[in-house]
Amino acid sequence: MDIDDILREVDPSSSGLPSETRDLQSLTRVWVAERSTPELLSWPTDGLVERVNGRIASQIERVEALTGDMDPRSNFALIVIQTELERYKFLVRSYLRARLAKVDRHALHYLSTPDLRARLSPTELAYATRHQALLHNHYLASFLGSFGPTLQNLNDTSGNITMIDTPDLESAVFIRLLRDARVMGKGVDADGDVQGRTGDIIILRWSDAKPLVDTETAELV
Amino acid sequence: MALPLPQGLVPTEVAFLCEMEMVTVVPRQRLESIPLLSGDTPVLRPPHRAPMPLWLALLLKKQRRANIVPPAWLHPASLADIIHHETNVDPQAFSPPPPPPTRADGRTGRARPFQENIRSSREAPKPGDDPRLAPPFLPSCTADAPGGYLPYHWLELAEALLAHAADDVPAAAEVRSLLRDLQEVRAAKMRGSTQSLEGGGGVVVLRGVGAMELAESRAFVLGVVDGVRKLGASAEATRRDEEANGGGGRYGGGGGRGDFEDSDEEMEF
Amino acid sequence: MSYYDLDAILTDAEKVPCKFELDVPDLGYLDNNPSQGLKAQTPVSLPLWLAELLALSSRTQSSNPEDSAPFLTLEMPKALSNEVVSALKADPRAVALRDQTHNMYGLATRMLDLFEEPEMCAVLRRTFVTRAAETALHARKAGATDDVVRGEGFLSGLEEWERSLFRRAHDGNKACKEWMEGVKK
Repeated sequence: MDIDDILREVDPSSSGLPSETRDLQSLTRVWVAERSTPELLSWPTDGLVERVNGRIASQIERVEALTGDMDPRSNFALIVIQTELERYKFLVRSYLRARLAKVDRHALHYLSTPDLRARLSPTELAYATRHQALLHNHYLASFLGSFGPTLQNLNDTSGNITMIDTPDLESAVFIRLLRDARVMGKGVDADGDVQGRTGDIIILRWSDAKPLVDTETAELV
Repeated sequence: MALPLPQGLVPTEVAFLCEMEMVTVVPRQRLESIPLLSGDTPVLRPPHRAPMPLWLALLLKKQRRANIVPPAWLHPASLADIIHHETNVDPQAFSPPPPPPTRADGRTGRARPFQENIRSSREAPKPGDDPRLAPPFLPSCTADAPGGYLPYHWLELAEALLAHAADDVPAAAEVRSLLRDLQEVRAAKMRGSTQSLEGGGGVVVLRGVGAMELAESRAFVLGVVDGVRKLGASAEATRRDEEANGGGGRYGGGGGRGDFEDSDEEMEF
Repeated sequence: MSYYDLDAILTDAEKVPCKFELDVPDLGYLDNNPSQGLKAQTPVSLPLWLAELLALSSRTQSSNPEDSAPFLTLEMPKALSNEVVSALKADPRAVALRDQTHNMYGLATRMLDLFEEPEMCAVLRRTFVTRAAETALHARKAGATDDVVRGEGFLSGLEEWERSLFRRAHDGNKACKEWMEGVKK
């Protein structure tokens, strides 16, 4: 046991988690959440992705340094490091691509208000804006251009139905309770009201699950 | 470049997640600590046990550098107990998940940092505290994990151990056949879970369900829930109007389909 | 409803029975009688989007809602007639919904918006859930044998929502099976 462990033992307020471990847990959680919700979630504002990317970059440097070293004993360590590196890269890539899929599907929606735009990272915002402009120009050149000017919009909201597709916030999701909590959810014949226990897996509408997820009372699964 | 997968984790992603589960290994060779992105690996000194994530344990196992200690719940007697519970004690619900780890459980094994990601969930949440831990970051598949309970990643972990470390699993053939029985009885419960959704219950509890079972049925179950909601949208709007006019909208309108406090009724919605 | 949703567009095009509340010149061809105008109260079929519009908008200028008179009155389409609903009530699995219309539930949600029919709503929800469970069983079987969907009785009677459920159940089973087979690698 080293001095850090001892200090951690006597200081009950310390979480006892090295920041690397905490970041892996956070990244895993945001990845699962992004894969499980109907709408795009906010880009982490605590620099999580940037931090993880920085660590991945320096780990790649370490691998390059180790590759030059021909000591067979460090060979196995290299395999382990590279295996873990691939796992991290998979997590980050899958997370970003899951977000990209949502941005692509509802680009006009996420660009429509400042609040929604704020959910995107600067890179995603640049991508969505540029991609949308390219698409619109392409449509104009291939067919919209031959319509009358009033029929050339892609974001017409007049009439009974808006052209801007939005995610269905009432669609159902699975969550897991992270602590005992009362869970309420809208239903058809009656609304639900359950005293849930830590670890319970629950199906409910995303609009009802979101407050629980935002307060870390529950996570998506 | 956008991910072409449907909403919700698919089986291969669940298996990836399961590889983060901590297991216990008995090293057969010495191995110095390796600096990883998630922290340094424990120094391995035979015959001292050490905790590590499943992906690393499997790597060591394939190279014959370590043996994996299967968790107690994977022993034939434990699986038989669980099957008994699933078929006879409570034929409706899934068997209960493992109890939340206590501090004493969580702090066993001193090799850092891998065991550090374990904290008592009995501590009251503190402001600005870390997010609560949940699978795969709970020690539910280590040698200290209790028998008689299936953890969230039970099926994936069992399959991985049987495929790559069968010689470490006592009575592997028996375990394999018990797992098939368990899968069968629980699959029927999963299918049954949608049967009584017609009331469009607002909150459906599936306590004890496993990750792979969810991955298999998630899209279907959510499709049924969403379909019932759309078919019932007009009835729901009418009900809300009436509630707003008389006595105000409230949750769980007394004995409605959506509410059930008794855990025995969890699967009945 | 989403602007680019094909099922929603197809549901919009479903024909529904209705009767004009007034004589309409030059519309006789709707009643196979092109030489004359259409008489009020003649039963005709119009696509849902048009019929809904004419049933909900008023032909008088009056702002008093008491005076508002629609151009036509809508009736329940045959797919949602008492006959079909009674059959569904008796045994949801015995009815080939697809023979009624490919967009049975899509059409039903639209009609339930227009008519207050709590009983029909309950019957349809029970039908949907019961048939979904049956669909899941078939999907499991199809997954086990790796068979392409044959024109089996029940499956060929699935309407669009149900077909989508079948695909979801089948894909889930298949992905799980593939993972199981791949663990050893």
